[in-house]
Amino acid sequence: MSETIQVVSFKLGSEEYGVDIAQVQEINRMVAVTHVPRAPQFMEGVINLRGQLIPIIDLRTRFAMPRTEHTKNTRIVVTEIGTKRVGMVVDSVSEVLRLPVEQIEAAPEMITGVDTEYIRGVGKIEDRLIILLDLARIISGAEKRELEAADVEPAAV
Amino acid sequence: MPADDFFDRSEFVQYFRDETDELLQSIDADLLRLEQFVDTGSIDVEIVNSLFRALHTIKGSAGMLEFAGVQQVAHKLESVYDLLRKDRMPLTESGVNLLFEGRDVLTALVRAAVGEGEAPTGVDEYVGRLDDFAAVYDSTAQAIEGPRSEHDAEEDLTPLDEAQLAAFEADVARMLAEAQSRQSDAPEAAAEPTPEAGSGVDVDAAQAAVDALFSFGDDAAAPAPFAAAFQPAPAPTKPVKAAPTFGRAPGAAKPTKVSLTAQPASPPKAAAAKPAAAPAPAASPAAPAAEPKRAVTKNQTIRVDIERLDMLLNLVGELVINRTRISDIAATLGRELGTNGRAEGGLTTLAKDLSESSALLARTTNEIQESIMKVRMVPIGQVFDRFPRMVRDLAKARGKEIHLEIAGAETDLDKTIVDEVGEPLMHLVRNCVDHGIEPPEVREGRGKARHGTIKLNAYHEGNQVIIEISDDGGGIDLSRVREKAIRLGIIGEADRLNDREIIELIFTPGFSTADQVTDVSGRGVGMDVVKKNILRLKGVFDVDSVQGEGTKFTMKLPLTLAIIQALLVRVAQELYSIPLDAVIESQRIDAAEVRTVHGGEVITLRGQVVPLIRVGEFFRLDAPRDPDKVMIVIVGLQGRQVGLVVDSFQGEQEIVIKPLSDVIGRIAGISGATILGNGSISLIIDVHSLVASAYGGGKAARAEFSGV
Repeated sequence: MSETIQVVSFKLGSEEYGVDIAQVQEINRMVAVTHVPRAPQFMEGVINLRGQLIPIIDLRTRFAMPRTEHTKNTRIVVTEIGTKRVGMVVDSVSEVLRLPVEQIEAAPEMITGVDTEYIRGVGKIEDRLIILLDLARIISGAEKRELEAADVEPAAV
Repeated sequence: MPADDFFDRSEFVQYFRDETDELLQSIDADLLRLEQFVDTGSIDVEIVNSLFRALHTIKGSAGMLEFAGVQQVAHKLESVYDLLRKDRMPLTESGVNLLFEGRDVLTALVRAAVGEGEAPTGVDEYVGRLDDFAAVYDSTAQAIEGPRSEHDAEEDLTPLDEAQLAAFEADVARMLAEAQSRQSDAPEAAAEPTPEAGSGVDVDAAQAAVDALFSFGDDAAAPAPFAAAFQPAPAPTKPVKAAPTFGRAPGAAKPTKVSLTAQPASPPKAAAAKPAAAPAPAASPAAPAAEPKRAVTKNQTIRVDIERLDMLLNLVGELVINRTRISDIAATLGRELGTNGRAEGGLTTLAKDLSESSALLARTTNEIQESIMKVRMVPIGQVFDRFPRMVRDLAKARGKEIHLEIAGAETDLDKTIVDEVGEPLMHLVRNCVDHGIEPPEVREGRGKARHGTIKLNAYHEGNQVIIEISDDGGGIDLSRVREKAIRLGIIGEADRLNDREIIELIFTPGFSTADQVTDVSGRGVGMDVVKKNILRLKGVFDVDSVQGEGTKFTMKLPLTLAIIQALLVRVAQELYSIPLDAVIESQRIDAAEVRTVHGGEVITLRGQVVPLIRVGEFFRLDAPRDPDKVMIVIVGLQGRQVGLVVDSFQGEQEIVIKPLSDVIGRIAGISGATILGNGSISLIIDVHSLVASAYGGGKAARAEFSGV
């Protein structure tokens, strides 16, 4: 038996992504998101999850994909990285997969759309390609960019 | 229940520390009361009993955790109190001082035992002195060592009335039932044969002991095993207190307590309690009287981690959202049925029921929310309690006679504030003792009573708590303050200041109290620090002083820091909260009154030019300007006024502040968020950073601001 990891897979456009199931706390339907002004563009806002404020990242914007209208399939994947909780808006959630570790390869250069910086690898299962995301990078990138945004952009008064 | 969670020593140590802290505090209070009986020849036995019980509990808990030093000193002190209450020893001043000292030695030992301080020195020397002292009155010396003291101790207590006894009986029964059911819930745990863990034997032992307690026989002279039989009795108070701390292994904790207290001096063995308790013959009626008495007089409190309360609050928030949803559904259903016209009667009734019960749910949810808020409140007495002793010691050291009067100790305020306010209060009280109250001779010379009075008073006023510290001492010596200020270069020789302004000088940083009157105070904490601490708590600090008559410090504090009063405003469809303490007024003015100076907008308000910041535009929201009117919230900022332009005012509300996730980072103009009653989120405007950022980034506004 080869070693496997479990991932939650979801879709953005036609591409399929996955995150380690250990980092997924729950999956919710789309709810009202409160916009946070002057936050970076991909920061969709915050939601109230049972009394806790959870920041929401729009993954499409994060990966510089065109934004689309939310549908009934749109989901918020609430992830937990360390002590930080972040929700990610995705087009739809597919399933929980078992990926044999040997089927995971380093991110190839050719992947379009997503900056390879945020990719842990690509998993192959049958003829599907699952792009495995590095959540910590996505979040820390968020913090970095936020600071840049706050410092550089002049206040509009 | 994982087996390794079974006995978490650190939890017990934590519990021990908290419990002992409380007991040491009560010992202090009792000693102060006891001190009044010095050399009167009489004594209030209740006080001594209370002291005895506190030490007994400390001794027991320390024994359980094998803190030998604490246990030993507690035991010795207990013996001395035993002599006192049996009237074998007169109450003298040197005796009381020795007991005060013992309390301090014990405190130091406890601190060291729980790893919060260095092991104190001179303990042996103190124990030696205590022994010598006691030996004079206790020739048999047995009372200090043997278990007899424990036994004798109970005989002196007054019997209970029947109601108290019944209450006690019920408590014990409940406790046993709980212990037993927990145990059957956790067979894995119960099977664990560790000496610390509770097992069936403990419950049996406790049961046997309790049985023995309630089968009153004629055998009035309780033999030795009685002590063991009696020991399980503290349980009615203990499990209640222990529950939150031992939450993970409740079944284990309770029986453990029972067996451990039964054998305080030796490492606990579950089986040890059984032979001791089982043959226990009928106990005398006096026996049950001892412990239930404690159950009745002691406060029924539990200790809860504040985080758990916050969690509870969050969950209630969720409940509120669902409640709102249910109300919506009920309303929609009612409408649908109404428009349908020919809805069946049954359905209509159901819809009505639904809307009624959702209204009920709404009310209950609100009450739960309010109750949890109240649970976060604790009485200020927790802080006040430490002052009687402090004032006594300080006054003695300074050769002053001081009465401390405390009022309003029951006044509630938020736990976080109570924790923070101790330090400034302590400094102020110390200040009163050192600088306020004059020495007795001076006071007599001035025609005042020999003893000075310091008053501590707390009370609610609106949604604020007022704390006053006043003394009838000499007041602030204005000419000396003035001299000092001139010497320090704070004011010039020629400056003319009124009394008020001179008093204000003591809040200048660097204006240390060290040189003010005595040599002893002024440990580097100036009045400026006190004032800063109070401002940090969003409080107001004030001082009044009349030379020759006294000084009064007043602090006004918000009831809580987590909840603030806010003005809700709408900007581009979103609701924002502006903390009310920054708001001066709100104005609705004609758009024509807004003028432009250097590209920045201003209005003139009562002759003053007030620059405007359009919040919607600052936040880069899609907020079209209203061509007719402008809604402005005037905020105050370091003496300046700034107008924040919003779309509409939505009234005032109490809000609970929650920080924004650090994933989002710091955002200029936003200090956090709050969740409103309907579950939606409102961002809280940080007036300070909004204005600073607007002026820092916007050239026009900056020019405007400096131009005004």
